[in-house]
This record gives sequence, structure tokens and C-alpha cells, in this order.
Amino acid sequence: MIETVLETRNITKIFPETTANKDISFELKKGEIHALLGENGAGKTTLMNILYGIYMPTRGEIFINGQKVTIKSPLDAIKLGIGMIHQHFMLVETLTVLENIILGLKEYGFVINKKAVKEKLREIENLYGLKVDPDAKVWQTTVGEQQRIEIIKVLFRGANILILDEPTAVLTPQETQGLFKILKRMKDDGKSIIFITHKLEEVMQVADTITVLRRGKVVKTLTKDKTTKSKLAELMVGETNLQNFQKNEKELKEIILSIRNLTVYSDKGAKSLKGIDLDVRKGEILGIAGISGNGQKELVQTIAGLKKVSKGKIIFNGVDITNKRPRFISRLGINYIPADRLAMGVAPNLSSIDNAIMRRYYRFPLLKNGMMNYKKAFAYTRMMAKAYNIKLDNPLAPIKLLSGGNMQKLILAREILESPKLLIASYPTRGLDIASTQFFRQKLVEIANKGKAVILASEDLDEILSLSDRIAVMYEGRIVGIMGAEEADKNTIGLMMAGAEV
Amino acid sequence: MLYFEKRQSVPQHFKVMIPIVSLLIGLIIGAIAVSIVGINPLDVYGGILSNAFGSWYAFSETLVAATPLILITAGLIVVFRMNVWNIGAYGQYIIGAIFSSYFALFASNGLSKPVMLTVMIIASMIGGAIWALIPTLLKIFWEVNEVITTLLLNYIALYILKFLMYGPWKNPESYGFPLSKTFPQTAILPVLFNGTRLTIGIIFALISVIVVWFLIKKSKFGYEVKVIGDNPLAAKYAGISVNRNIIIGMAISGALAGLAGMTEVSGIVHYLQVKIGADYGYTAIIVAWIAYLDPIVTILAAILFGGLASGGYSLQITMRVSYGIVGLIESITLFSLVGAQIFLNYKLRWKNGSS
Repeated sequence: MIETVLETRNITKIFPETTANKDISFELKKGEIHALLGENGAGKTTLMNILYGIYMPTRGEIFINGQKVTIKSPLDAIKLGIGMIHQHFMLVETLTVLENIILGLKEYGFVINKKAVKEKLREIENLYGLKVDPDAKVWQTTVGEQQRIEIIKVLFRGANILILDEPTAVLTPQETQGLFKILKRMKDDGKSIIFITHKLEEVMQVADTITVLRRGKVVKTLTKDKTTKSKLAELMVGETNLQNFQKNEKELKEIILSIRNLTVYSDKGAKSLKGIDLDVRKGEILGIAGISGNGQKELVQTIAGLKKVSKGKIIFNGVDITNKRPRFISRLGINYIPADRLAMGVAPNLSSIDNAIMRRYYRFPLLKNGMMNYKKAFAYTRMMAKAYNIKLDNPLAPIKLLSGGNMQKLILAREILESPKLLIASYPTRGLDIASTQFFRQKLVEIANKGKAVILASEDLDEILSLSDRIAVMYEGRIVGIMGAEEADKNTIGLMMAGAEV
Repeated sequence: MLYFEKRQSVPQHFKVMIPIVSLLIGLIIGAIAVSIVGINPLDVYGGILSNAFGSWYAFSETLVAATPLILITAGLIVVFRMNVWNIGAYGQYIIGAIFSSYFALFASNGLSKPVMLTVMIIASMIGGAIWALIPTLLKIFWEVNEVITTLLLNYIALYILKFLMYGPWKNPESYGFPLSKTFPQTAILPVLFNGTRLTIGIIFALISVIVVWFLIKKSKFGYEVKVIGDNPLAAKYAGISVNRNIIIGMAISGALAGLAGMTEVSGIVHYLQVKIGADYGYTAIIVAWIAYLDPIVTILAAILFGGLASGGYSLQITMRVSYGIVGLIESITLFSLVGAQIFLNYKLRWKNGSS
């Protein structure tokens, strides 16, 4: 019998507002890749944070190699051989790769014994194919390399159990394949890996055992060869309803947004958009694909008036909106759903009402004779919550107390209710459950069918492929290609996202 | 091991209980300190209490001290809500006093009292606003941190005042003391109740509270202030002009501090001098926090602090206690009040184990 390296029994974690984990029991065997599959908010990350000592469980027990343990801090976890690779890398950008790897380790001396470190790095490279340049500064490395550094860091500390939290979110399809090869080699070497994800394909490709979580509970644990993608999807969601969207047939209509030679500098002073040319037509959904950090965010924010244009022109409906104020642009009929809701989309400590009226507080009837009518604002918020199925127990409570999904729904509803002529949606369905995702995707299609335009920037290639009429791919601040939805396939887009000329 | 844990939400009764409990704790520690010096703390506290609230006259003196505090705090609330830290109310107060004094000293010929006072009020508010807008524009155009500029401008304002008092505006008959001539009768704020020093300045203070309350709770400006204070990026995203609102807010803040300077020189002192109302500009910062940036609560908090100041001041006369003792008690209670604010957002937890 293969030994169990890690086991949880009835792990429960209760937060003031929700129960994130309820009676979670699962076993991790030696030399297996165990996928934890679930939608956003299913409780995967909470569970992993418990294993890594970031949270303490409210109830339940953890066993490592058959021994009952209490993990009070990441330090405890590391001592027990557990290593975690976070979704957001924890690296010091200005230090070298080598310095990052030994950060916090005492064994290599006050003056670092580089020779010994490099020796060990070579060992790891030979074993698992994890290649990095130890003397490069981290800021010079690519995202894929940074992930490898994180993995090496964990191995360096002698981890036998590796937890990877959505490791492929930031990778190109090609880099993802590279990662999977490394994972398989580590598995063959007897390491055990927990792989957190919500992507079915990756699970089918790389996992041995799969535990499906839904609403904080284990739905089922099964082995890969005894299941299928659609079966897993069903377990994840509770029901399958992946519908197709009814799109209107349309001929090429008039251009509503025209961008010429757009150049924008980032906050750090580097060029983030390098001469973008783009036309958006009425009635179409234009998808913008790209790995995050390649200029998609800057492009949509510039259209919305939130970034300064250094060169080039943006014309909307015949009006030059280059470097115009955000209010001017939104009143012309451009609405923008930001990618990062907490950073930009909401004022987290203000009430749901205050957040719901952000786009119209300055107009009648919410503003009358210079006075805010909070009664009308309350009614408006209620209406919004009802129409868009947002769970608002107390509209006067700070919006940060809402779940991520409900908050996102409120932002989407707020922008859609302005009936924009051009809706810019950045990662609009991130954090939504399947039903709401379907609902809002349907909304985007409806908006386009009514002859309005939609720009859809998303990490989720499947989302872009299923909704867009045309797809523009961005790489390093340029649009490297635009193609119609019919001619687009995942592989080509993946290659373009990685900068390949196609 | 003891550690702090962030609260998800603040229970309403905490907002009342925390200041009361921390005030009591401060008073207890103060009592211990006073006992060590060999004074009966009950005498000291009783003395402060009766000197601050014990009689109608005592209470009127408390309100006299509370007047500038309310005015300045009402203004500070507006900018503090946007996370703009105006530490310069002290300087704005002085400049307001200087601006209004100019008219009282040099332009009072033939003006009736109502006209004279109106001119002085407007002048003081303009003066305070100008003094507040200097750091504001520096902040907006060159991103200079307003904490530093407003603070440093306090010293500049003080030295302008000193220059005037030792130089051009000095009263030749003041036997070398740094004061101006006494204001003409037309430039003196009327007293509300005979036998007290309480002027209609307190009414200005109450009006300012109502105006600020209205601005914050009911106006479009107040909504925008709320959003800017919580998330400037979201404000920008919603099309709110952050800079415009900061300029308006700082102008209001400076104008009210300037007006406080006017009520002090015109209402209480009746001439300009180097020492005018010492620390109101700094105390108001604390009052604003104790009042949770709420204009209505400000009135209570300002009366509390006014009472401490006037009660403590009288104490050294009636009980011959050194003012140092009063200052000690004041500082300890302040420390306790301000320090306890952490419990609004955090709670103490006990965690077992050493790691």
C-alpha cells in the first residue's frame, strides 16, 4: 500500500461571515499529484492556508506521515516539509535569484557561500529540469522563471509536499506545459503535490487524484481514470448548463471607437503601449487576449480616461476623447468595468448604496438642488440588487463585507445600467459562480446584439473565444494580431500571447 | 502571546464606550501620578470639574475655550475625511487673526460695528484660506506632502505675527510688550451674556458645525469626499475630481481656522499679541479624532477639552497647584483617549504557544 503523507480530518474553518471549510477530509499519498478542484469561493485557498499555517482551523485534525500535528505558522509548515507556491509570487525584485532562494536560511553564512548554493541548485536542476540563472535579478526574469524560482525555494527547504495555488493563471499555454513536465518529474521522485485549480483540462492532464470542493465541502474524491471532464464540471457546479450564446448575424457596421498610434507610459515611466491601432465597431464584442502585464490594462484604462496619452488619438463616435476627463468620457457613453474591483471598482468601506450610485450620484433624481437624495439612492440600489440577483442583506453595511461574487455583480450591474454605447469589461466574470457567469456573459451578448460595442479583456481564453466576434492579441504593449472568431484557435492565440509571429 | 486582530466591523456601542472607558483609565493613571507628588487626586479632579462646569460663569469660560476648538475642528473634519492631513490650523488661525486685526487697527474709521465685524470675519476667512491653499497647491502640482508643509507654515505664520508685534504693529504705549493697540469698540464681538466673556463667536461655531454637517451628509461634495477618503482611485474612476475637492476642502478648513482666530482677537483678547490662544490649532486635531470626524460629536468633544483647559487653568489660581500637574493630567488622559482608538479597529486576542 502506498503511504499517506498528509491527511486532514473534518477540517472546519468558520469566519465571522461565512463557513469557508466544512468537515473537509482528504488524503495525499506519496508520489501523487492531487488536484483540489473547485470554483472561486469553494474554499480551496482557505484549506491550503490552513495547511500552510496561515489560518488555524476552527475544528479538525491534520496528520503528517501518520502523526497528528498542529501547524501554527508557515515556519511550522516548512519544518514539516510543506512548501507553498502562492498565486502571487513572494519575491524581492531587486535581489538576485540566488539571494531570493536562500532568503531567511541561516546555513549559507553571513557572507553567502555561493558555491554551495549553486551546487545544490545544479542538483535540483538535474533532478527536475528546473533551470534558472542564479545571478539574474528577479525583476529581469519572466513570470515563468519567477514561478520556477518559487518552486526551487520550496525544494531548497526540503519540502516533500508542495502546494501550488492556481499556478497556471499567469502562464502561457506553452509555459503551462513546461510546468506540468516539472511536476511530473517531481512526482516520479516521490514528492507529493497539491494542485489547486478551477481549470478542468489541466486537472485531466496532470492530476492522479481529484478532490472536488463546492461551497466549502468535499463533494467527492476520485481518481482521474475513473472520471471525465463533464463529470467533474457537474460535480463542481452542481448542475451542467454550459449553454451556447445566441449571437445575431451581423455585417460590418460603422466604427464607434477608433484608436490610432496610441502611446502610453506606465507609472514607472516605461512605455506600456507602443503605438496601438484599433477599431471597434457597433454591435461587436472585441476580445483582448494576452498574459497579464502586456498592456491590456493600460489600453482599457486609457480609453476610459484614466491614463495619460503621450502620443496618438482616440476618437469615440466622432468626438476626440484623447486625454479627456473620465467624467466627460463616461457621459459620452463609455463605461468601464475594472479588473481589480477592490483597488478601483469600489470604495470598500462605504455602503453598497454609496457604491451602487457612483456613476449617477451627480444626476437627477439622486441629486436635486445640490442635495443628495439618499432615499432615492436606496431605492435604486434595491432595484439593482433585485434585477441582477445580488444578495444584499444590509445595503447600508460596508460593501467589503459582501462576498467577492456579489461585489462583482454590483459593479457589473452598475456599469450595465448606465446603458453604455461602449462597454469595456476587464475580467468581468472573475470570482462569479457558474450561474452568474452565464448570466453576465448573456448580458454582454445582448448588449452587442442591440448594436452597442463591447471590449472584453480577459485572462480566460475560453471566455474570449466563446463570446468575441473578433480577437486582438496583445504582447509587450503591441497588438500582435487581430482575427475573426471563426479563424481563431487556442493554440495560435497562445503562441501569439507568448510573442510568436503568426 | 498577546496580539491584535483586525475587526471586521465595529459595534456601534464601542464608539461610545471606548472614549468613556479610556477617559476613566486616563484619569486613574493621572490620579496615581498626582498622588505620587503628594496631592490628593480627588481634590484636583474636583477642582477641575467645578472650575469647568461648577457654575454658570465657569461653564461660560469652558464655552469660551470651546469656541475656537469647534470652529477649527469643523474645518479639519472636512479634509481629514479625504485623508488630507492639515496640521496647519495653528498657522491659519494666526493669519486669520492678523488679517482681521489689520482692519480693526488701521481701517476702522467711520465704519459701523456690523460692517466692521463683517469685514473682519471675511478678512479672517480669506486669510486662513490663503494660508491653507499654499500647501494644497504644492501638494497638487508637485506632490509635496501636506503634513510637512502645513506644519512648517505654522512657524512662518508665528514669525510673521512676531515681526508685526515687535515691529510695525507694536503699540508704542505697551511698555515694550509685544502687543498691538487695543481694538476700537466697533471691532469687538458683542458678548452674549453680561458678566461673561462668551461672545457671539459661539454662534458662529454652531453655524459652522451645521454647515459642515450639511456638506458632509447631504451635499454632492460630501459624497465625493467620502469616496475620495476611502479610495482615491475609485473616485478618479467614478469621474470625481480629487484635486478640486481637496482645494475646496482645504479652503473651508483654512477659512474656519482663520475665523477662529478672529473670534479670539475680536471677542476675547481685544488686541493682537504674540500669544493668542496658544494651542487651539493642535488640540483641534485631537478633538477631531475623538469626535470620530463627526461634526455633531465635535461639539461635545470640544466642550470636554475646553473644560479641561479652562478648569485646569483656574485650578492653578484657586488651588495653587502648579500648571504642570494639570498639564500632566491632560497629557495622560489625551494619551489614553487617542491610544484607545486602536480598539475601534482591532481587538486583543490571546494566542497560546510561543511560535
